Amino acid sequence: MSENVITAKKLTLAYDSTEKIINNATFEIKKGDFVFITGPSGSGKSTLLKAFYGNLKPQEGELNIGGLDMTNIIKHKLQELRTHLGIVFQDYKLINEWTVEKNVVLPLWIAGYTADVQSSQAKRLLHHVKLTGKEDKYPLELSGGEQQRVGVARAMAKNPFLILADEPTGNLDEYSSNVIWDLMENACQQLDTTIVVVTHRIPMMFNIPYRHFSIDAGGNIREVH
Amino acid sequence: MKFIKTHLSLIFPLMAILLGLEFFIVFDRTTESFEKSLKNGYTMMVVAKNEMSIDDFRSWDKHILKVEEIKKSKILNSVNIDFEKEKGESLENSLPNFYSIKLNKYLSISELAEVKANLKKSEDITRIETFNSVYQSQYELFSFIKFSFNTFIVFMTIIGFFLILKQMEVWNFLHAQRMKVMEIFGASLFLRSKVLINLAIVDAILSALITSGIFFIIQNMWIRDTQMSILKENIESVFYLSDFFILLFAAIFIVLVAVFLVVINVKEEE
Repeated sequence: MSENVITAKKLTLAYDSTEKIINNATFEIKKGDFVFITGPSGSGKSTLLKAFYGNLKPQEGELNIGGLDMTNIIKHKLQELRTHLGIVFQDYKLINEWTVEKNVVLPLWIAGYTADVQSSQAKRLLHHVKLTGKEDKYPLELSGGEQQRVGVARAMAKNPFLILADEPTGNLDEYSSNVIWDLMENACQQLDTTIVVVTHRIPMMFNIPYRHFSIDAGGNIREVH
Repeated sequence: MKFIKTHLSLIFPLMAILLGLEFFIVFDRTTESFEKSLKNGYTMMVVAKNEMSIDDFRSWDKHILKVEEIKKSKILNSVNIDFEKEKGESLENSLPNFYSIKLNKYLSISELAEVKANLKKSEDITRIETFNSVYQSQYELFSFIKFSFNTFIVFMTIIGFFLILKQMEVWNFLHAQRMKVMEIFGASLFLRSKVLINLAIVDAILSALITSGIFFIIQNMWIRDTQMSILKENIESVFYLSDFFILLFAAIFIVLVAVFLVVINVKEEE
């Protein structure tokens, strides 16, 4: 039986005490799972993802990520956990004053890898996201699709055990979307990386087995696939 | 151009503070020696019925540093009247004792009045001349210059700090997004602020160097050509090498506090 990467027991998330965003959720996500989380706007999909990377503490219940209790996690442990996560944002969250290459290797730079390792890893990743030759460009010189591919490359730079993606192909062209899904499928299949994707719509052509959680307007989560 | 813009906005306010600090240090050093020369040049005259020793004077006031008896013959000579020898001797014997007194520091007018009042308590002392008006005009001019200068320094420092606060807002605007992204990917506080720390330390070093350079030029070029004796006499006090290290330490301390305040105020978005 494979190990749990994410375990939630009676998890309740809220920004204040009056309104619960995620209500009493219990689920387990195992190593190598590819999970889609869907639901209407405002249902709490992104909030759930934020809780996964420690941006929001559970109000009630338990949440365990990679063996760490997120309810009482200390800052130092949270920092360490984040160095093993890959996160993709809908608005890319790239550092605009840094080159594409520097953005991609951010997780490696934080982890203290040598410049040589960073450089070779950047070349490999940029080749995978079809951005070879754009190492020295700045994010604002790229199209939205290209920026998101940089974001995905950054998320995969340190071979994380868990990739969290918030609407990664939300406003992207078909080519960029396909590149991103291909990469994620490969990471899941070849590296056994756990991938959680929050999205409005599951892609039509998806080639690997996946799990599908749905959140309703009341913040209740159920597994539908 | 970008380099100049990025750095000058911190270097200017830092220099305002460092110039204030260095002016304060230099002014303190030069006025100390000026005060000393005023103190050394000042004496009060005391007339006493009986002979008095320095301990007698000190028993009345602690500010008495040195007592020198003025020879009666000298006083008679200064009057410049020809007496017969015998008459002169009897006149000399009938004269009271005259003392010139030096004080241990440059006193304010009120402190000087207090010294006078203390000495007057002695029954032996019949007259005290403090040469108040000369002393007062020197002291008041000196106090006024000192006050004006210190006010200017405080004003410059306040302006400098306000400009640094403005710069901190600019830093927040320019660096907050990068620091937030780095925090999401697990960067420590030090790594998140490294870019800002490097920038700030470079500016601190440049500011300390430029400020020291200004004072070095003042010392070695401007003062040597000036006719102001107070400056010429104290030319060595205008800039010591150790001042550069004081300025550097102050500049680094200020910028690190500023960087720290910016970094801890960058909160991760929820």
